[in-house]
Amino acid sequence: MKISLKWIDDYVKIDDSLEGLCDKLDLTGTGVEEITKLGEGFDKIVTAKIESKKPHPDSDHMFVTMVDVGEDEPLQIVCGAQNFEEGDHVVTALIGAVLQGEFKIKKSKLRGVNSYGMNCSEEELGLAEKSDGIMILPEDAPIGVPIAEYLCLSDTVIDTEITPNRPDCLSVVGCAREIAAIYDKDFYNPLDDMAAKLKTVPMDLPNVDIEDEERCPRYTARLIRGVKIGPSPKWLAERVTALGTRSINNVVDVTNYILYLFGQPLHTFDADKLEGDRNIIVRAANDGEKFTTLDGEERELNSDMTVIATRYHAIALAGVMGGQNSEIDENTTNVLLETATFSPAHTSRTSRKLGLISESSMRYERRVDDIDIDKISAAAAALIVEVAGGEASELVDAWPIKSKPHNLNFRYERFVRMMGADIPRDFVVSSLSRLGCKVDKDLSVETPTFRPDLEREIDLYEEVLRLWGMDKVESTLPSSSARVGHRSYEQRLRGFVNGVLTASGLNETVTYSFAEDGDEKSIELLNPMNAEQKYMRRSILPGLLKSVSYNINHGVENVALYEIGKVFKVGTEREKVSAVLSGKPHVDAWNKKAESFDFFDAKGIVENLLDKLKVQKIKFKPIEHELLQPGRAAEVLSKGTSIGIIGEVHPKICTAYEIDKSVACFELDMKALISCSSEFKDFDDIPVYPGVTIDVAFVVDDGVTDEIMKQRIRSAGGKLLYDVSLFDVYEDEKALGAGKKSLAYSLEYRDPDRTLTRDDVDAVHNKLINKVCASTGAEVRS
Amino acid sequence: MALIDELKTLNEKTQKLIEDAKNSDELDKVRVAVLGKQGELTAYLRNMGAVAKEERAKVGKAVNEARKSVEGALEQKMSALKAQELEDSISASAVDVTLPGRAQVVGTRHLISKITEEISEVFLGLGYTVVEGPEVETDYYNFEALNAPKDHPSRSMQDTFYIDSETLLRTQTSGVQVHEMERGKLPIYIIAPGKVYRRDVADPSHLPQFTQIEGLVVGKGITFGDLKGTLEFFCKKVFGEDRTTRFRAHYFPFTEPSAEVDVSCGICGGSGCRFCKGTGWSEILGCGMVDPNVLKMSGIDPEVYSGFAFGVGVERVACLKYNVPDLRMLVQGDMRFLNQF
Repeated sequence: MKISLKWIDDYVKIDDSLEGLCDKLDLTGTGVEEITKLGEGFDKIVTAKIESKKPHPDSDHMFVTMVDVGEDEPLQIVCGAQNFEEGDHVVTALIGAVLQGEFKIKKSKLRGVNSYGMNCSEEELGLAEKSDGIMILPEDAPIGVPIAEYLCLSDTVIDTEITPNRPDCLSVVGCAREIAAIYDKDFYNPLDDMAAKLKTVPMDLPNVDIEDEERCPRYTARLIRGVKIGPSPKWLAERVTALGTRSINNVVDVTNYILYLFGQPLHTFDADKLEGDRNIIVRAANDGEKFTTLDGEERELNSDMTVIATRYHAIALAGVMGGQNSEIDENTTNVLLETATFSPAHTSRTSRKLGLISESSMRYERRVDDIDIDKISAAAAALIVEVAGGEASELVDAWPIKSKPHNLNFRYERFVRMMGADIPRDFVVSSLSRLGCKVDKDLSVETPTFRPDLEREIDLYEEVLRLWGMDKVESTLPSSSARVGHRSYEQRLRGFVNGVLTASGLNETVTYSFAEDGDEKSIELLNPMNAEQKYMRRSILPGLLKSVSYNINHGVENVALYEIGKVFKVGTEREKVSAVLSGKPHVDAWNKKAESFDFFDAKGIVENLLDKLKVQKIKFKPIEHELLQPGRAAEVLSKGTSIGIIGEVHPKICTAYEIDKSVACFELDMKALISCSSEFKDFDDIPVYPGVTIDVAFVVDDGVTDEIMKQRIRSAGGKLLYDVSLFDVYEDEKALGAGKKSLAYSLEYRDPDRTLTRDDVDAVHNKLINKVCASTGAEVRS
Repeated sequence: MALIDELKTLNEKTQKLIEDAKNSDELDKVRVAVLGKQGELTAYLRNMGAVAKEERAKVGKAVNEARKSVEGALEQKMSALKAQELEDSISASAVDVTLPGRAQVVGTRHLISKITEEISEVFLGLGYTVVEGPEVETDYYNFEALNAPKDHPSRSMQDTFYIDSETLLRTQTSGVQVHEMERGKLPIYIIAPGKVYRRDVADPSHLPQFTQIEGLVVGKGITFGDLKGTLEFFCKKVFGEDRTTRFRAHYFPFTEPSAEVDVSCGICGGSGCRFCKGTGWSEILGCGMVDPNVLKMSGIDPEVYSGFAFGVGVERVACLKYNVPDLRMLVQGDMRFLNQF
């Protein structure tokens, strides 16, 4: 809402600086968004008088004028306008003036004649949409006065953010009341005086029939006969211009003036365009009904929308916009003035459904008060008669639902206790009264109907607190009984996962939860931002692959990223931890060469994680997965429960993401990880007696996996076998034979209670080798 | 006494050899040649039996003296040589200490996670519990239970991602508060961090997905002063002890009275600059006393209990604290950006 300080000044006197006012507004809930000083774009534009006018020697439509601009010598100005005579008072832009912030006036030569300025039209000054010829001022206009001063264009306009609970402040009078309340000043509401000016004459009046009261609590109509449409008087044009609308014509300007002044949208119909008996029906639109609004758009309506109609067809979309078929034009002489209020919910839905937000709909969807509608109609009609002539009828008033004030009990002690501030009782009374409430001695409060947001006691608390000043409330901390804050087990474990992954060299990132592709199990958005974000992601990996691609495209070759976040499926959302590794862990250094990431780097990090989380009985099972390269893809299991996947991204997928190298990755399910982890594990004794380590290499068929070998070794080793670790994998067709490989293990034997002898170890070791060879077909490589 | 002379000569010769030994290996060779099993001096000892009985004591004494003398010299020389050798090896292994160390790769947390944890720590310290909730939420928990019925002007189809008419992507983490209040365990001191979604085109100051931390306190005798004190404490902990705050009255459907909180501009200290658009303040969070309707809807008696709630945008804190110029950097995964935190 734009507040013109000059206009506000009619209703409340502010004796504070602009800065002070803006601060006060900000702190009491009316956010100041922008301050505009009007009249600033009119530098070097002055009132002037045409001293002489001679035809241009070299043009049949231009004139050479000598113009008195209040300086010692008149200026020679070449002028192409046809609508002026010698002696006319005009508006002249001097050299250096900038018209509408764009067009700079310079000394120029027009067909050989020097010109030292420009006589301006209203259009060129931005004061009217269209004008014929230059602006002619009255004969008594002074000469050489800045035009902003002469037209009283100097004004300061504050653009404020009005919160949805304050429809009353979408008006000059409402803002004036608010400012008066902030400063504890007198406030003048012009409504009664303006309404009193109306004299009505008897006429045949139309009926008003409201079909659904909920949609329209009050509808009034008034005829104004014999108006003459024309330009607005200066003061009226100035007021509506200050608030950001253009002056259109006298009748339309009055409706806009009243809209801004009282926050009451008005609509004027050309009464002669209403066919038949001019009777007004407020009804639900028919589903599929076609209607062309004032802006020329044909719109399809539904039954949730309300129309103003004659018995033949709709003439306005209630609360949102009028219709083209009954629009006021320059030939209009008889006007039907609508002053009404409509349901906020219907207006809001209609406006959104049609994507049509108007000054009217914006106010109706926040609620327009019904109580003063008759007076506002009278004020508007009086003003129309004043500026456009004609005579006004009595009011036709259909008022099925009348708003009632709320009677609330303000419990002072409770208020003071809840705010934690000693706000005096007197202040409660005075501040609520300033806002328009009636307050009794015992603090029973009757709220005004123009404040629909004041319906409960707590709403009054807010009013008093904000006018008192939140900054004056002493800061304390809650003093209730002792309490302990904590994180859940899952949250702590997530922190642990973060710790292991960053220690493994991964960088945490965040990608969008949206996805381009989905299937029948995917969650699809009704109103996505774009086609690439149509679904909710089923996996984090595609988002991470996009980041790999982003890095490579920006010259970053080594990428190690992880993300912990939700993935979605119809009915569920699950938390995943996912990572991608591409390039090398670091750039090659003088003292350390880095090797490119592959499957085993991803697996190593997962193994670290599982180990630190004490996940038991882990298995890695080869799988087929749409994202992963066959043969380099595994499922991670613990005690048969799937925890997630590890692998290298399928080269085809990499190509699709414009990644020209391999990417190792994993994606684990946080819940599975947590449920397979053990928070506590018993302490293992640290060995006291020395162990014996023997290395042995087995030659086996290619199909025999490390997992199988370890299993067999462990089961053959018995209690004394303390640890097995693989230290070499070797393939050589000549030395080992085709389809064979050598797996070399380091076996550590240990007895917790004594030092083993060579004989003890040899006995167990030989037995182990025999058993392993027998069960796997292995041979010991000598 | 030829033997005695021989021993004397041998000792002198050996002393000379010891003296001349250039390193511990050479010295060891001398030791072996003289004192080893086949050593010259050892031979004298071994042949003592052949020495005439009356001379044995004399010769024995001379041999022993020679041995002691040689041993002493060996030991002395050995420790000198060892010391020298250690010194040589130390000076040979000196490095250019300005060369870079061997690469150890350590990853980083994301800036938003870092700030979320930092803020969580502040409130954990104040005795708040961290709770979480679903990102796909029902219309009821996201709006209605928070006093914003359908058609309420504060909610707009334009801002919310809908899945169907009753399901949406949460636009605020406030739904978590409702779930917590419905559990009915009072008093409540919680914070709820998490991702939220709004239909904004991604640009330097907007993302369709961002992070919020909401706080809720419900108990007996909770005051607006408590809300102020809590958030002032929070701002000082997160932005610095020298920062001040101001409360501006505002409107939110789920709180009454409601306020927005500004923290004094970190660039100009409150005098006004381009960063804070001349106001001296940066908006940082929204808050208020929990609306009695919200308490009632969750089964809490507003005549007995009161409370406050607040919501902080983590990305906003990131911008204010780390001067992140473009929010889109937070979702690109650029290693050069992530590495910095």
